[in-house]
Amino acid sequence: MSDEEKKMKILHVYRSEPTDDVKTLVGILSRDRDASEFKLYDGDPNYDVLVGMIFANDRTVSWW
Amino acid sequence: MSADPNKLGIFVTSPQNMRHVVGVARAAVRAGKTMMVFFTYKSVHLTKSPQFIDLADMCDVENLAICADSYTCEGYDTAADIPKGLTATQMRTQSYHGAVLDECGQYLVL
Amino acid sequence: MESKKLFFLIQNRMYGDAVRSALGQAVENHYAYPVFLYEEYPPLSDYMKENMEWIVDMEGEVFTVAEKAPEGVEMTPLTLEELGEKMREADQIIPYGLPKQTNEPPPACSE
Repeated sequence: MSDEEKKMKILHVYRSEPTDDVKTLVGILSRDRDASEFKLYDGDPNYDVLVGMIFANDRTVSWW
Repeated sequence: MSADPNKLGIFVTSPQNMRHVVGVARAAVRAGKTMMVFFTYKSVHLTKSPQFIDLADMCDVENLAICADSYTCEGYDTAADIPKGLTATQMRTQSYHGAVLDECGQYLVL
Repeated sequence: MESKKLFFLIQNRMYGDAVRSALGQAVENHYAYPVFLYEEYPPLSDYMKENMEWIVDMEGEVFTVAEKAPEGVEMTPLTLEELGEKMREADQIIPYGLPKQTNEPPPACSE
């Protein structure tokens, strides 16, 4: 594992409740990385928090 | 051109997420970030939402576009029915998505 | 301009625009990878087959996780786990369009 990979910060945004397949992919993508998540489907999202998280991460994946 | 770390690209492909698009855009403006937004596929129906004008008001002309081919495929008229808030120059191709990917340091699909 | 690895994930039977969008980025000199995640897809049109061939010609690849891939076009089969490993190298992952539908489409829109 490279140092660069160790440092990667990845944010998973869920637009709806994740399916088992999405959970499998998220697990692989998050392995050995600093991973966090944000649920857009859960009540009234705090978009200020979301934007802050996006800019604090190296990569964002927004699942269906 | 290298990507601007303070610029957020929003790629909209679903017709279901207008409140998220506007919510994220407003938050980005509050945070002092710039953004580029591109609507394609079924999301072009969102141009008929009253909230689309609010979004257009937050974006410079060069930072908001829709896919003209998608708009036509969905039955709209790219000549006689340009969405309110846009000009003809904002009716673009998928190359605009390429610009979003190249110019924006952060990227969100909605 | 740096060429990016872009994965266009398709889980709805309305797959066409994701493939078109992927081709658009192949033309922009990126590595474009449409991924068919399920198997309930209408027959591929000649237009769609051509788009997929162009993507492959431009150093992209069309992947399928489905056991029964659409006929008449070259696709690379892989498991969900293999897809996950490949996407660790992605520059962007683009879950495209709408989620998978629960019910089968009616005849009015099934082809």
